[in-house]
Amino acid sequence: MSKSALITGITGQDGSYLAEHLVSLGYEVHGLIRGQNNPRAAIVRRIVPELHLIEGDLHDQSSLISALEATHPDEVYNLAAISFVALSFKQAINTGEITGLGVTRMLDAIRVVNPKIRFYQASSSEMFGKVRETPQTELTPFHPRSPYGVAKVYGHYITVNYRESYGMFAVSGILFNHESPRRGLEFVSRKITDGVARIKLGLETELRLGNIDSLRDWGFAGDYVRAMHLMLQQEEPDDFVVATGETHSVRELLELAFGQVGLRWQDHVVVDERFLRPADVAMLVGDAGKARSVLGWQPTVSFPELIARMVDSDLRAVAADLTANSAPKPR
Amino acid sequence: MSEAKRRALVTGVTGQDGPYLCELLLEQGYEVHGLVMPGEVVPREVPAAVRLREGLLTDGASLQAALAAAQPQEIYNLAAATSVAASFDDPVAVADVTGLGVLRVLEAVRASGAPIRLLQASSSEIFGGATSSPQDETTPLCPTSPYGVAKAFAHQTVQLYRRSLGIFAATVILYNHESPRRGPGFVTRKITTAAARISRGLEAELRLGNLDVVRDWGYAPDYVRAMHLALQQETADDYVVATGETHSLGELLDIAFSSVGLDWHRHVVTDPGLLRPTEPVRLCGDATRARTRLGWAPTRDFAAIVREMVAADLDRLDQAAPPAASAPGPTAARHQPPG
Repeated sequence: MSKSALITGITGQDGSYLAEHLVSLGYEVHGLIRGQNNPRAAIVRRIVPELHLIEGDLHDQSSLISALEATHPDEVYNLAAISFVALSFKQAINTGEITGLGVTRMLDAIRVVNPKIRFYQASSSEMFGKVRETPQTELTPFHPRSPYGVAKVYGHYITVNYRESYGMFAVSGILFNHESPRRGLEFVSRKITDGVARIKLGLETELRLGNIDSLRDWGFAGDYVRAMHLMLQQEEPDDFVVATGETHSVRELLELAFGQVGLRWQDHVVVDERFLRPADVAMLVGDAGKARSVLGWQPTVSFPELIARMVDSDLRAVAADLTANSAPKPR
Repeated sequence: MSEAKRRALVTGVTGQDGPYLCELLLEQGYEVHGLVMPGEVVPREVPAAVRLREGLLTDGASLQAALAAAQPQEIYNLAAATSVAASFDDPVAVADVTGLGVLRVLEAVRASGAPIRLLQASSSEIFGGATSSPQDETTPLCPTSPYGVAKAFAHQTVQLYRRSLGIFAATVILYNHESPRRGPGFVTRKITTAAARISRGLEAELRLGNLDVVRDWGYAPDYVRAMHLALQQETADDYVVATGETHSLGELLDIAFSSVGLDWHRHVVTDPGLLRPTEPVRLCGDATRARTRLGWAPTRDFAAIVREMVAADLDRLDQAAPPAASAPGPTAARHQPPG
């Protein structure tokens, strides 16, 4: 009998990659979707036609219980979150509700419906915030510096707590930044590659950014969803850092992205203080040694290749928009 | 308006610490407002001078209304679902009150635009599974219960609002603190009440979980002084408030039962059903920062606290109707029900 999985955050970047991956492994895949007439449902349906969508909301625990009872999953992947750090400062309570408390609602729903269901929590390198050591491992203390980071720390601890207190197979994957052509436009990598495409095609002339000296460990989302799945196939539940171990600055990303289309970023980028976060994290770089040795996981897409794919994809998308409409839609 | 009275809003006013803190603030000349849940029974320990305001930590709008009505310069957030054991039964409700509650208070402070100072009552349970002892303000958090996880969220949220958003928000990381007003669900009070009742012939045995539990137990009236001091500093910070001494449940039993001339070994039965799913190992706080910067120090030692609690429980029994075979338990202060 084939396995069944339920994914929250199905309309996000990772949701569609994970759904594709699980479908390719023969899973019956269900995606939790919230809201009436959610416009993003059509997009994810187009990417993964085999996907079954079911209504539910991390705000509402009884809707989670109903979704679990209806779909009988063997595995639940909790990818849903208010995941944009800057927004979390403006909607701190909502971030706590969804990104933090939503994890507990799902864990508790699993405990009620069937505690044998395996649970994956999408934790984040933002939990390390003002880092206490470099690189960061599963043992590095957390020092979050945003409402998003604080809520993710809560989600991590409560996942560990359900594992240790109730004996559930609940694991936390501490994922460092991971990007793809499907990354949301609010994230800096995609904002840059989309901006490059627009500038290249003559729609815009400048790109406004915050701190271009920020350093990040950027991987490819398609690689990272494989690690999520592997974590739930182990004998014993455990937590893993998933990262490339390489760090790059936004400046390097700009070099690669503009270079890909034969432009100089210095001619187009304007540093705008409005985009600076109240407390920016300094240097995040993960040590995925445990994931490599225990899970046999490793990344397959290098940083330059990742940026090249994103720029190419955005060039095609912007060009298609230009052809379809005389004027492209505003972002 | 420097001649105007200082105003404080206290949440969790019906718990153990709330009445002690209200007494202290009233002595210091504050106008004290207490946040209570709609319909909540307010115990007689809450001083009559406290102005009660209805509101819920789960309802941000009610907190904004309470701030607008009380116009406090200082907020003391003591409200929480305080039972660690019960937190395993309803982790969602615990997180909503104990964790997100402080976030809602902070957002109400931010929305008010007033320079309100906030004191958050953090708990040693945020260190639950700490690998080093004693713990201080720099010890990495390691909560091991839904209560501890929610308290960790609250603690880090307060730090974030202090560091990133410039709000005067301080925490006191309180180790266990007891008093005659401790709720009957807590192990210390459970033991002192049992010692009193057994000595009066009202009961014969006491059922307990893990007797190896070791804690750093202090005196609640001492601890509320640290809360007030933490808001009178130039800048906001975190302070561990603890005695730095640990004692086991066995020692507690020794002192409590011997104070009424009994040997606890003849009355205590260990009951595996009372074990928590996970139990923190050795919690002991290093309060050096509170001692040096706040000038704080505890005034009661462990034995004196336990004896005071047993004596108070005996008084309650003796003040109640003549002991009958099925005498009801003492009418103690009610804690906010968890959740």
